[in-house]
Amino acid sequence: MLNGIDVDGLQTALKAVGAQPDTAVARKHARVRWLDRLKFRAYVRNHQFEVDEPTHLAGDNANPTSMEYVLGALGTCLATGFVFNATQRGIAIGNLEVALESTQQNYLVFLGLGTEGHPGFDRMTAKLYVQADADPAQLQELWEHTLKTSPVGNSLSRTVTLTPEIDVIP
Amino acid sequence: MTEHGLPLFPVTVVGSWSRPSWLLDALRKRQGGRMTAEEFDRVADQAVLEALSYQEEAGIDVVSDGEQRRDNFHSFVADKLEGVKLLTLAEIMDLVEDRAQYERVLQAADAPAFSIKNETVVDTIRPRRPLALDEFTFLRQHTKKPIMVPLPGPYILARSMWVKGVSDKAYPTREHLAVDVVKILRDELIALRDAGCAFVQFDEPVLTDVVFNRDVKERTFKCGSMSESTGDPSRELLFATRLLNSVTEGVDGIRTGVHVCRGNWSRKDEVLLRGSYEPLVPTMMGMRVDRLVLEFATPRAGDLDVFARYPKRKQLGLGVANPRSDEVESPAFIVKRATDALRYFEPGQISLNPDCGWGTFAERPMNTADVAARKLRAIVEAARELRRTVG
Repeated sequence: MLNGIDVDGLQTALKAVGAQPDTAVARKHARVRWLDRLKFRAYVRNHQFEVDEPTHLAGDNANPTSMEYVLGALGTCLATGFVFNATQRGIAIGNLEVALESTQQNYLVFLGLGTEGHPGFDRMTAKLYVQADADPAQLQELWEHTLKTSPVGNSLSRTVTLTPEIDVIP
Repeated sequence: MTEHGLPLFPVTVVGSWSRPSWLLDALRKRQGGRMTAEEFDRVADQAVLEALSYQEEAGIDVVSDGEQRRDNFHSFVADKLEGVKLLTLAEIMDLVEDRAQYERVLQAADAPAFSIKNETVVDTIRPRRPLALDEFTFLRQHTKKPIMVPLPGPYILARSMWVKGVSDKAYPTREHLAVDVVKILRDELIALRDAGCAFVQFDEPVLTDVVFNRDVKERTFKCGSMSESTGDPSRELLFATRLLNSVTEGVDGIRTGVHVCRGNWSRKDEVLLRGSYEPLVPTMMGMRVDRLVLEFATPRAGDLDVFARYPKRKQLGLGVANPRSDEVESPAFIVKRATDALRYFEPGQISLNPDCGWGTFAERPMNTADVAARKLRAIVEAARELRRTVG
């Protein structure tokens, strides 16, 4: 066991998954249902989560917005990738956090208050704080590898300037 | 001589001494549950004796144990009090509703939540062990010099230990918690007096945060403390004064002081608070303590003329050495600072000390023991010069 993960079990699972013909395209399904006002519930596999808007935008602020889920998804994807790769390389993680910050090019477009540009993300910063049983250069290389191989990171970085940072905590 | 049998311009410290690496290893093991309190104390005993040796060899007049047993100047109470836990901010964020304010604190500090620890009240507090009496008793066995003991002030403890969403199950407000904090500190002060302690210093560095961050109405991270504030400086200063006075009122036979600085967690002056003591002087004058232990070694702290309206009202622990620099202050510089202070204080009212501790936070020492010792020797040399010329 390393980082709470059964390493041998992981290797066995990877072999099995790699042999499946559809693994590469990793098709996904989701369904979103309107609940009330600006509240929605998303269903994915046997899971569900809810989305809302803040009160100043006519929501109830009961849940994160769609864009906050995207930002959080980038952070969790990067964290998942880092721990996944560290475990495969035999690196024990003590503590790990990813702090994210983003801006949107022109949110006014979504609100109907502007027409210039687009309302999507245009810049994101993802800073990794990590305490691990490895030297800083190895962790830096691992972080770069994680960025290159991140599914969410790749989905976003084709249109967003994504800036990775790392802070190795001694 | 001063009225307390010390020479004029006695030289002392503000409390902490840099911890050796082997002590830090033991501290990490202790915090990780891999070392018992007794095993840790045996290691810390040795570190205290080394810190004492540096101070005695430098020739200072009043010594401390270097806070060698403490993680930092206030969080150590988590180990001494029932009902208090040292929680990381990551753990706190899982327990509270208003997580957004903590995220703002983390962004400002550029720090991960797992790295910030806060002594947090989770139940009714009561002493498990003395806060500092055992530290004093050990040191007393190994030196004939008078001993100073630093304690966290009641204001910083009430501010940092009370966390909404966690502590309000035991205490509805931080004001309710403050009642028990005052009682515990007062009992400790009396116990230290009865044991023969010369001087107890209450550390209240977040007072500068109150006046310099006056627009902040929620939590800030300063001096290692996750502090909750009302955002009303006048109310906060009055609250702090009432608490400290409740601790010291009527406790005779021991000298007390309050230490206020602008932060001692980084060698980068630009990230620390900056500004004159002027907005705090009326508050400090209203505190029932004998001595104000203040930093005056760098321009960051403003000038001594803030005491022009309050001449000779208090003793002054005059900060004359920057704990965060490698350059050793010259005795001539220190003599000049003391001479400046003589405009507002009697010679018998002034003691000399560094601006702050050398290792306020165990893991973030501001200087090496060797540089600290050289700075203390410079202060001792300046004190001798002052006794010759002023005494």
